[in-house]
Amino acid sequence: MKVVTGVIGNDIHVVANRLMDLSLNARGYEVFNLGVNTYLEEFFDAAVETGADILLISSLNGEAEGWAREVKLLKAEYKSIDKLIMMIGGNLTVGSGNAEDIVPRYQNYGFNLVCHQVDLNTGLDMLEAYVDEHRPGERGKGELGNVEHNTREQVPS
Amino acid sequence: MSNQLQEEREIILGNENVDAFDFDEVREFVKGADEQLFISHHFATKDKMLVQPRGGFPTYQKQYALYEFFVDANVDVLPLTIDSNTRLNDYSTAKKMLRLSEENEVDMLNGYPLVNHGYRTTRKMMTHFNHPVSLRHGTPDARLLIEIAIASGIFEIEGGPITYLLPYSKNFPLDKAFLYWKYVERVCADYSTLNKPINRESFGPLTATLVPPCITIVIQLLEMMLSLEEGVKSFSVSFSQQGSMIQDIVTGKVTRALAKHYAAQIGCEDAVINLVYHQWMGAFPTNRDSADQLINMSTVIASMVGADKIITKTREEAVGIPTKEANAKVVADTQYTLRILNGLPGISDEMEEEVLTAEVHAIMEAVFNDPADTLWRKVFNSIKNGIIDVPFSPHIINHNKMITIRDAQKNIRIIDRGNVPIPDRCYVYEKSCCDLNKDTTSIVNDIIHDIGIMQ
Repeated sequence: MKVVTGVIGNDIHVVANRLMDLSLNARGYEVFNLGVNTYLEEFFDAAVETGADILLISSLNGEAEGWAREVKLLKAEYKSIDKLIMMIGGNLTVGSGNAEDIVPRYQNYGFNLVCHQVDLNTGLDMLEAYVDEHRPGERGKGELGNVEHNTREQVPS
Repeated sequence: MSNQLQEEREIILGNENVDAFDFDEVREFVKGADEQLFISHHFATKDKMLVQPRGGFPTYQKQYALYEFFVDANVDVLPLTIDSNTRLNDYSTAKKMLRLSEENEVDMLNGYPLVNHGYRTTRKMMTHFNHPVSLRHGTPDARLLIEIAIASGIFEIEGGPITYLLPYSKNFPLDKAFLYWKYVERVCADYSTLNKPINRESFGPLTATLVPPCITIVIQLLEMMLSLEEGVKSFSVSFSQQGSMIQDIVTGKVTRALAKHYAAQIGCEDAVINLVYHQWMGAFPTNRDSADQLINMSTVIASMVGADKIITKTREEAVGIPTKEANAKVVADTQYTLRILNGLPGISDEMEEEVLTAEVHAIMEAVFNDPADTLWRKVFNSIKNGIIDVPFSPHIINHNKMITIRDAQKNIRIIDRGNVPIPDRCYVYEKSCCDLNKDTTSIVNDIIHDIGIMQ
């Protein structure tokens, strides 16, 4: 499956973004990583261009809150992304907040999966479970296939 | 100086934020400036490691007060850290925020907006303290900034086209950065003929996130060569604490030896090359006492490395912009540690030195073999095609294929070389130091742990 990912807004926190790229690849997804400092339109443009199955937005500084409000409106302007699985994760609010309030709010904004301060691998496990439930049999059709998760295979010899 | 460069300077200094730049007066000032203002003079005459903190405040008064604290703490080199608006050449926002900072006694900028203060004002502060000052910024286009800095009496300029771009920017064009920094090198070289040399310093820490020493050293050497080939006579190569004492010692030795080697290769044996060590630049402990211990250990390692200058952190690193008190404390602490550290053993690891040297030579050779006609274009192409790959750079041009991890001794090791031409035997050695019989999920968890080892 194809995943478009990146960090939203004027957010330059790069470390988690790179690790996400690495982990998604290892789990057999075909990854299109837009990197840090990415605007909402760029995410949707990339989803259309690549024919992505999943859009995975992350936020470290919490500014996602401001952008996420525009998701429904903007997504409606695009054709052919109705089936796109929308996921968001990271620090989803500026300052402190609790997941019980944050998760439903973001679901209202149009996200299928919301991970507020959830660690990387737990979040990706949630994604796998969601895909298996809603798109049974589709996972593992990416370029790399659902191969054995062994780093040695990624390291050129 | 060529007429073409002088014409470009007149355009740059014709900026509306500059109040009538007087070229002749500035030349006379540099010519007659006190030798104490030149860090190159201190490198030549002092046999202790120079101590330099970090720090910049928006207003003249606060910067002045910070310097008073530093001088009381027996500082060797004063910093002038520039605010982020100026770094992005947004002088009008910096001006507005400076005014707000002055009127409200609240800091609206994270550094000193040097262009807005101007050289006539700033020079008064620099000549009053009569210490060498180092310009710390992070600006891809620093042409105007360095003109104002030198005119103010700031005779060390940090940065470079690679080290001030790849860690900080996603989109700024790298080729433009090379050309803007060429201007900086030429202006520094020209002023260096008038009095003691202006010192240029590269920013070795890069992303400070699992960057392997071979990549750090290659970038240090290339920025050094780009600077020396324009006529700069005093240059500092640098790196930051990596997490393993022996890796730092080996990195220091190889950096010094190869800097000399590659300077000679382009006929610049006469240039003075200094080695600078940054205290831990990664994620800091929030506990202030732990932070103090980390800082003290960094100072010990810098001594083992034999650095010419150390750049300090503070116990408030994890919290925010440090107060002047915390900043002065670290200067006093570092000076004390340096004074009592005696009889250090001269240790190294010959095999590690040999492996690292071979890696650096191999990457340098690949850069030189690029068919482009000038060094900066060769370097540009090498970054573009991943011969040079900086882990965790946010920049779109960076390759992001290299993967690094720590071994049991916390040395940074390359487990995926990507497109970087690490020689096969070195690559086999690097990987043999790590446990790779794990799935990728565990390796990602290891990387997360390895980034945060000091927390």
